[in-house]
Amino acid sequence: MDYTLDLGAVTRNMGPLMDGLWVTLQLTLAANAIGVIAGFALALLTTSKLAVLRLPAMLFVEFFRCTPAIVQIVWFFYCVPMIFNVFWGPVFMGIVALGLNLTAFNAEAYRASIQAVPREHLDAGIALGLSPTQRVLNIVLPQALRNSVPVLLTNGIGIFQQSALVAIVGVADLMYQGKTLATATYRPIETFTVVALIYLAISYPVGQFVNWLERRQSYS
Amino acid sequence: MADMRDGSALVEIRDLHKSYGPNIQVLKGLNIQMMPGERVVVIGPSGGGKSTLLRVVMGLEQIQGGSVRFGGKPYISAKGDKTVIDTELRKQIGMVFQHYTLFPHLSIMENLILAPRKVHGESRASARERGQKILERFGLGAKADAYPSQLSGGQKQRVAIARALMLDPKLMLFDEVTSALDPELVAEVEAVILQLAESGMPMMMVTHDMWFARNVASRVIFCAGGVVVEDGPPEQVLGDPREERTREFINRVFHIKA
Repeated sequence: MDYTLDLGAVTRNMGPLMDGLWVTLQLTLAANAIGVIAGFALALLTTSKLAVLRLPAMLFVEFFRCTPAIVQIVWFFYCVPMIFNVFWGPVFMGIVALGLNLTAFNAEAYRASIQAVPREHLDAGIALGLSPTQRVLNIVLPQALRNSVPVLLTNGIGIFQQSALVAIVGVADLMYQGKTLATATYRPIETFTVVALIYLAISYPVGQFVNWLERRQSYS
Repeated sequence: MADMRDGSALVEIRDLHKSYGPNIQVLKGLNIQMMPGERVVVIGPSGGGKSTLLRVVMGLEQIQGGSVRFGGKPYISAKGDKTVIDTELRKQIGMVFQHYTLFPHLSIMENLILAPRKVHGESRASARERGQKILERFGLGAKADAYPSQLSGGQKQRVAIARALMLDPKLMLFDEVTSALDPELVAEVEAVILQLAESGMPMMMVTHDMWFARNVASRVIFCAGGVVVEDGPPEQVLGDPREERTREFINRVFHIKA
């Protein structure tokens, strides 16, 4: 292969890549805001005793867990405007699509953490005279929320990586800017390598932080 | 005669039936009358319904038949498919479990004062003061700000006892509270229970430790097959049982221990 690496083609054009990274970060943070809050509400619904609440919530979760994220995003971008006659900006659409996906996965994280609280703790709560609401607020939720943090962070950084999928539907994120730059400069190797390294530089520290957090929690 | 004693019994269990699912009958018409000040130790083979009995008295289980009175008042009864439990009476009973049930996200002191504050609306300062006294009485005065993960198993069980006592229970239930402990930690927990016994606390407990049973009990009940087989003072039930099944059990247990 007769190819001379020219990283300058990328470093001279970091402006668009940084613009793309900013969009990617916006997508990630906003989708996480949705996922952390709505995921919790959804988890409460999936653990409800009432089938009217539980079944639709479980259907929602299973739909997002059992279809590829790329199909969800493409479906959302093409079908939602046509079905509901709403036209939002691409970044907002991306946030909602990624946010719904994360909501489903976070709901599972919360549900698992709620169910992981030992039954004996609830028995002890009854023996201490706490009401059902007091048991949930003082025994179940504090433990469940604490245990769910590592999974929420892992899901959250996962959505940072998945967000690259919205480049396909024209959202000007990091991946999209990389594609554009690679085409314009005829430098796909340099460009996509740098793009990958940027994703890595952000994901890796968060992953390490999660590892540290899990180690710390397992000692306590 | 039974009717005369009804009014004064602390706990009166009548014809108690409890099953898990349609096929597993654990309690099959169990009767116990516990008088105030008594320390009842329930012994018997595994699966004989001992722990279930305690859980029923704590109001943790649905029952399929019979009733429990507490302090002379109706406490638990089976009404058709439903179990009716008087949750106000339930608050007068404390329980310590086999497995550690301290809440790991709360410090020792916070474990102690949670229920007094939430259930009785006691002020934080007053609850803390009482908590500190109980911890000191149990040799745990320095552990108020520690977290459960920093304690040994024996310390955790002593805290669990202290936590239950914070609510001034009229009856304490101990369900194999030393079974999960390393042998060298058993004595410190048993010492705390003996201390409570000497202070006159009524208690009902399940234990496999026959030495301890003999020391703490004012009365021993041998439970097998979901019914009371023998019921009497410790010297009789543990020393010279009248029933053949009790005798077999006692011989086996003491044989293993020797």
